[in-house]
Amino acid sequence: MTTQPTAQERFLQGIIPENPVYRQLLGLCPVLAVTNNMKAAMTMAGAVLFVLLCANVLVSLIRGLLKPHLRIVVFTLVIATFVTIVDKFLAAYMYNMSKALGPYIPLIIVNCIIISRCEICASKQNVFVAAADAIGISIGYAISLASIATVREILGTGMFFGFRVLPASVWQDWVIMVLPPGAFLTFGLLLGATNWFSAKKK
Amino acid sequence: MNYIIDIVLIAVSAALINNFVLYYFVGICPFIGVSRKVDMAIGMGFAVTFVITIAAFLSWAITTFVLMPGAPLSSFIASFFVSKEMASQIDLTILSYIVYIFAIASSVQFVEMYVRKFFPDLYKSFGVFLPLITTNCAILFACLTIMSHIVGVDNPEDVWDLGRALSLAFFGGIGFTIAITIMAGIREELDTCDIPKSLQGVAITLIVAGIMAMGFMGFTGVDSGLKKALTKSSIVEQNKG
Amino acid sequence: MKKIKDFYLVQAWLILIVAIFFGAALASIQIVLGQKIEQNKVNEIKQRVPELVLSTTELEKLNAQGASLDVEFTTITVKKNNKAKSYNTYKAKNADGSTIGYVVKAGGQGYADKIELLFGLDKNAEKINAIYILDQKETPGLGNKIVTDKWQNQFKNKPTEALEVVKTGAKNTNEIDAITGATISSRSVCNIINSAIKDLKEPLKNR
Repeated sequence: MTTQPTAQERFLQGIIPENPVYRQLLGLCPVLAVTNNMKAAMTMAGAVLFVLLCANVLVSLIRGLLKPHLRIVVFTLVIATFVTIVDKFLAAYMYNMSKALGPYIPLIIVNCIIISRCEICASKQNVFVAAADAIGISIGYAISLASIATVREILGTGMFFGFRVLPASVWQDWVIMVLPPGAFLTFGLLLGATNWFSAKKK
Repeated sequence: MNYIIDIVLIAVSAALINNFVLYYFVGICPFIGVSRKVDMAIGMGFAVTFVITIAAFLSWAITTFVLMPGAPLSSFIASFFVSKEMASQIDLTILSYIVYIFAIASSVQFVEMYVRKFFPDLYKSFGVFLPLITTNCAILFACLTIMSHIVGVDNPEDVWDLGRALSLAFFGGIGFTIAITIMAGIREELDTCDIPKSLQGVAITLIVAGIMAMGFMGFTGVDSGLKKALTKSSIVEQNKG
Repeated sequence: MKKIKDFYLVQAWLILIVAIFFGAALASIQIVLGQKIEQNKVNEIKQRVPELVLSTTELEKLNAQGASLDVEFTTITVKKNNKAKSYNTYKAKNADGSTIGYVVKAGGQGYADKIELLFGLDKNAEKINAIYILDQKETPGLGNKIVTDKWQNQFKNKPTEALEVVKTGAKNTNEIDAITGATISSRSVCNIINSAIKDLKEPLKNR
């Protein structure tokens, strides 16, 4: 049996080497859907952080009681509950944002990142490692969302976080960037760029 | 007549204009993962269409009869425990996400067992994809869309019935099949192309998908035009009759 | 004994306990936040009412006083082609109870998807005061200009007759300038308002 990574390793691995979006290509649906502005992307990242942290900690606490053939059911139940909680919180305190994100918050339930972290890390290691892993992965996820949202929002609307960075007098908005095709193109090119960089490093 | 127009519009919108993959970005994982070969892509597409229709039927029935505020079944059961007035206000929508995901998971299990037992040939062609479908966002997305048209709608006229729900789900699945098949066709050709090394694989797939999404944007506005054409012809028919 | 152990419910005891625990958690969330979420939904429209029924100067006066209007919510159902159609309307009243105007919520097909909007009428339902777009998915850069003040200001003081969209400079009182490159979106907004006014003009006057 191989030794399991420590908390620090899990945390650092999640950010770049095992980045959920660029390296593992998981949870792509919100990556493409909510990245046309920075605010929505960061809210999404926050929601994923909450759900992943809670699910990882809880699964890690009850890992001794899990039966192998029933564990996926438990994971799904845990994730679905926390997603419901996050959804209600957003609807109560950030109503406009919850309307803008729409179905993509409940779709966190079927986001492969969370269930794969429960399976790979939380169901085998203790609470601290699981929490560190959740935070590391979430930071990696937030960075990926931010990278795409930055490109799309600046090129598409000339704004960043809702503030104008490219003056309207000289900048003609690239409307395609905030539309669906812009999401595919931006992410495809950024993924190509990361591949190129990592190949060059070696 | 108005009802049929409505169904047609929902179908066209789900399959082409607001394509699940290229407009709402749901079901991206199989779209990228299983689009290497055309026959596999078609198998996956039909498996999704099949499951999404069943899941839509289940979620429509559960939402209408159990979850929505004042749903018949839940208020009937509750009326044994609390007063009639309180029972008619019972609102279980907070449980909807949990219920949907389990409805999807269990229906996938049943479909898999049923198909394996009674249609072994069919199982060989798309059975392997069935377990993967549980975590396909497209299915849950269809359930959520149907729910948003049942719960919290102002006008009782606009609440979706079973026909509309099934139209959205079935043609959403068809739209997914169209998108993934086109993509597989393009990727088979891409194999013979000279692509820069860093763009090979997923990156070039995403860029092609972006160009496809641009193509599908051309369908925008078809539904309002279609509505106009259909309403006009139905008025003419009424005048004749 | 072995039979009991293999029984599904015994195997699934953990799931049952977790489910009960989560059920309780969700119920408490619903109790704590449910009211607030409902309130948010109502407020979204109610906070728009003053700017939709008052003129700019009156609105400034109201804000300076820090006062708010009384808003009364009613659903009006009208018969149309043998079918019932209901509208959500909001009646704004002064502190002394006199009616200032009405706000109507209406929706319909736009270019890309459904458009949902609010519009304010004066107390006799004879003039439109202002409009506000609640929800739209029109093409960014073209159709979504229906949310700009510049375009919406055209609706100020329009009579509640059939509005018409023209491409070359509105001359008559019931004409609205189309947005360049988005005639269909402009026309959709006018059609939604027209059909709602047609249905509601009489019921509102008679109240």
